[in-house]
Amino acid sequence: MAMQEQEISIPVADPKDPYVLPAAMPSSADKEPRSFELHDFEMPTRQQEDWRYTPIDRMAEFFDPFTPSGRTGLEVSSIDGSPVDTDHVKVSTVPLGKAPSGTVSKPSDRAAAVEWTSGKESTVLTLSGKLDKPVLVNIQGAGLDLDSFHLVITAEEGAVGDVVVEHHGQAKLAEGVEISTGANSTISTTFIQEWDGDSKHVGNHRIHVGRGATLRHSVVTLGGDVVRIRMDQDFGGEQGYLNMLGIYFADPGEHIEHRTMVVHNHPECKSRVVYKGALDGKSAHSTWVGNALIEPTAPGTDSYELNRNLVLTPGAIADSEPNLEIENGDIVGAGHASSVGRFDDEELFYLQSRGITAADAKKLVVRGFFGELVEQIGIPEISGHLMEVIDRRLSRGESAQMRAVLEEK
Amino acid sequence: MATLEIKDLYASVETKEGRKQILKGVNLTVNSGETHAIMGPNGSGKSTLAYTLAGHPKYIVDSGQALLDGEDILQMTPDERAKAGLFLAMQYPVEVPGVSMSNFLRTAKTEVDGQAPAIRSWAKELSQSMKNLRMDPKFASRSVNEGFSGGEKKRAEVLQLELLKPKFAILDETDSGLDVDALRIVSEGVNRAKENTGLGILMVTHYTRILKYIKPDIVHVFSDGHFVKTGGPELADELEESGYDKYLPEGSNSESALA
Repeated sequence: MAMQEQEISIPVADPKDPYVLPAAMPSSADKEPRSFELHDFEMPTRQQEDWRYTPIDRMAEFFDPFTPSGRTGLEVSSIDGSPVDTDHVKVSTVPLGKAPSGTVSKPSDRAAAVEWTSGKESTVLTLSGKLDKPVLVNIQGAGLDLDSFHLVITAEEGAVGDVVVEHHGQAKLAEGVEISTGANSTISTTFIQEWDGDSKHVGNHRIHVGRGATLRHSVVTLGGDVVRIRMDQDFGGEQGYLNMLGIYFADPGEHIEHRTMVVHNHPECKSRVVYKGALDGKSAHSTWVGNALIEPTAPGTDSYELNRNLVLTPGAIADSEPNLEIENGDIVGAGHASSVGRFDDEELFYLQSRGITAADAKKLVVRGFFGELVEQIGIPEISGHLMEVIDRRLSRGESAQMRAVLEEK
Repeated sequence: MATLEIKDLYASVETKEGRKQILKGVNLTVNSGETHAIMGPNGSGKSTLAYTLAGHPKYIVDSGQALLDGEDILQMTPDERAKAGLFLAMQYPVEVPGVSMSNFLRTAKTEVDGQAPAIRSWAKELSQSMKNLRMDPKFASRSVNEGFSGGEKKRAEVLQLELLKPKFAILDETDSGLDVDALRIVSEGVNRAKENTGLGILMVTHYTRILKYIKPDIVHVFSDGHFVKTGGPELADELEESGYDKYLPEGSNSESALA
């Protein structure tokens, strides 16, 4: 059923004072302005809603402009290592601020504005037609000297393809990502963080889903001292579908934070946000904040968000906060669910009674916990790749033989 | 030839009303190739005995030993007990979402044997065992026990028993919730395992029905946390006739019904 077009005028807010026009505020749960200007953002403190869960003292270096080291490594290929198909994938570089960089929304917090202010250029990936193989963007950390990286992924109208962005090594990285998908395109973007334990990574994803387009946006964060990724999205027309999936694993002392902001601004769009995390050990800390805003312009909206946390050992902390703001009574659905659960003793005993050690039993259960979600991706090359990444994380320290068994090869 | 020797075992459980002793001096010796039926009324502690031997954290051993070929398994973690050769077929097998049966079975086999099974012979053995138990091959790719019917769960337990080849198996009310056909299939699986490996069996039940399919060598009556009578197969027939009432401690009554 296509909605009849109707004209609705939305007042535009002054970014410096979003309260002047409450209807144009991004969300009551999201009081930050949208701006490229650093001075529009206050210095973060734990008293601010957006930063209340973040150990800001551990990432203070990301709050003031810096000179990027420029040493972050970048390689773009097909997922099997072969060169990209240049008929369908164009890789280019533009000065930061020149289109298409800076065209998808605006920074929504100070760290994102700092990345925009400090960076010099942007890598641009343009997808058109139907890609045969997923594109792999391999980002190698530049060590502990601060660097910034900006990536724009643009999918043309009707494009069909998959992009995987991997982060490895040791890094202190401020990253900005802009994703814009054309009308009726079917795109997946998968971001994997496999940082070394002392790495820090602050990311801002700005996402625009075209009319009638489907975007699967996946984030897998499996390591890093502090990783904070903030995602802002909106739709470019009716009947867009956004499917966000997240997986994270926090080790002792690590802080892993994901914030999703889904904005329904057009009729009959659908969004699903499902994030699952496992936490292991003392002071492992994860934060998930899922905001969904359904604007007056978005009748027929169907939205749902879910977060599940599996606490493997005592002493870990999982913050989970879904926020739903509905400004339209004519919707299909808007739901949310959130849970933090302990590792089930009965499951553990059952597996142990079959000879499986407690440590391996936990790995099996965590693998299953994530596997259920990865299975839903439905793109074998992507789900297979993700399970490999998860297996690599879970089988750290295992013998080759046990690794092969646990990984279900 | 292996021996499982339970010596003067006392065990408790934490309840809301405080710690309660359930096992009160259990003594039993089971040898390879023997099938012992452990019968008794509800609440007598039969399942507690099964779970205490397998090492469920809920049960606290107060005193006593359970020697498997001289090694006290009560000092071991549950996985070490499994590696030592003990298997518990549970009354209520636990669901493990997202973990496929095939991955679970292969992991368990690897840990119990100390080495990964050869891929080809393992696949063949798995598929043959499933066929014997009339299990659909697609069970291998389903999550462990998830969405299985009661009968399917029991078949999956016996499948594990056949594949892991323990020295001793405790069957905790494996017959409960099974229709006649499923009872026969599951019993055949147990008998096959015994024939192939000569395992010793402790079969916990309060119905005599399963004894038609799995013939016990020795029948015990368990009441108030310990064995009160031991006999041959004829003891089961006597229980069938007269119930457990005369074995109950004074002042209590049995809520059990014999099939």
